[in-house]
Amino acid sequence: MTKEDANRLARAIVEVKERTTICRTCFNVGVGERCAICADERRDPTVVCVVEDPRDIVAIERTREFRGRYHVLGGALSPIEGVGPDQLRIKELLRRIEPERVKEVILCTNPNLEGETTAMYLAKQLAPLGLRVTRIASGLPVGGDLEYADELTLGRALEGRREVQP
Amino acid sequence: MELRPLAGGLTVVTGENGSGKTSLLEAIAYAGSLRSMRDSPRESLVRIGAERAVVRLEAADGARRTLLEIELAPRGRDRVLRNRQRVGRVQELVETLRTTVFSPDDLEIVKGGPERRRALLDDVVVAARPGLASTRQVVERVLRQRNTLLKSAGGRLSAEVAATLDVWDAQLAGAGTQLTEAREALLEEMGPAASAAFSQLAGTEAGLELSYRRSYEGDLGSALATGRTSDLRREATTVGPHRDELLISSAGLDARTRLSQGRQRCVTLALRLAAHEVVARYAGTTPVLLLDDAFSELDERTARALLEELPPGQAILTTAGGLPPGAKASGVVHLEGGRIVR
Ligand SMILES: [Zn+2]
Repeated sequence: MTKEDANRLARAIVEVKERTTICRTCFNVGVGERCAICADERRDPTVVCVVEDPRDIVAIERTREFRGRYHVLGGALSPIEGVGPDQLRIKELLRRIEPERVKEVILCTNPNLEGETTAMYLAKQLAPLGLRVTRIASGLPVGGDLEYADELTLGRALEGRREVQP
Repeated sequence: MELRPLAGGLTVVTGENGSGKTSLLEAIAYAGSLRSMRDSPRESLVRIGAERAVVRLEAADGARRTLLEIELAPRGRDRVLRNRQRVGRVQELVETLRTTVFSPDDLEIVKGGPERRRALLDDVVVAARPGLASTRQVVERVLRQRNTLLKSAGGRLSAEVAATLDVWDAQLAGAGTQLTEAREALLEEMGPAASAAFSQLAGTEAGLELSYRRSYEGDLGSALATGRTSDLRREATTVGPHRDELLISSAGLDARTRLSQGRQRCVTLALRLAAHEVVARYAGTTPVLLLDDAFSELDERTARALLEELPPGQAILTTAGGLPPGAKASGVVHLEGGRIVR
């Protein structure tokens, strides 16, 4: 790489970083007020997949199995790390249900203890709203202890999702 | 260092204190459980100044060979490979390598607080039923989460705290009940074996009584709900498997407070032997015996009795002195300064 190339690359990285914003609807990363997924009219707004982190969206998108929208919580319940419901974007999720006429929420939090507990919490919060709440089928037991959750085969997990009893 | 212990026989590891004998056993036990056999904190398992510790061992079960490779850093998660494939669950390690450890510190199982006795039971649960390895971890982690939540609540039960406690309680009730029931079932099976071994070791007619006392009545979910107010006040979880007790007595005398130290040693040895027997029965394979300076504190009669009671199979014994009377070593290895010198 020449010095000029390197400078050009550096400028490009700065530019991307400056333009990257958080989507006001789903909290995914994107450019502008709405991310590419929320802005895409072809995507089904009535199915919302709840994830912990924007990187999970990348993983699910790669499976090409899902045509709905997302909601990024920004983590999972974990008092040890100072994370309670107020630190997650749970109220923001609940506020989306009515105006966007959401019919199904898929809980796609990580298949470890904190992710499972967060899913359980969300299921209880969503129960009074009278919509379908499902949980991805997890290949790991609760507390999959070494937590290589990101390597989970998400495509299959989405397909095998099941209704959650709050 | 590299050790080639002899299958089916007794390998004796000699060396002065600090030559690395115990670390060698610790490494073997860790590879099959991802836990320190002495309950040492993780940082102390890695040599000071080193980035990581690496354990590589081959386990043989009949003709099947399994290579385990574990890399542990002072902080963070272990990197674990089984036959060069990443391992996602502790269960897979336990299924490959089970160990039974005898150490002079074991006296604390009888003399110390209840946590040592619960840990012994949980080790047996996991070795006998490896599927419960994650259950044990979930129980430990939920308790940390729940207790932190109780502390941060500052004694007040807001709607948010109540809703969050509900879900942590549900997790604790599920995993906690599973663990408790498994402990009770395995303790039941250990009872007769422990009692018989104790009589032999102590040279007495009196046997050993083992019983399990739960910290709650009825189901754990309801007990957690009932105890919530007091848990908030005390900022700790007051019911659950972490508060249950394993009670040990001989001829009606509480082993912790009423037996002589010599008898207490016999109790710990009997518990280890019984655990070994039950695990072997469940697993269909004999755990490797790790005898960490196990004879040093025993009088000659007890040492002889233990040698007689030790089940056949592979054993590795460390010793700073000589061999226990009557022991037949099939191989001897000498350590100096963390290295095998012969
Ligand atoms: Zn969006």
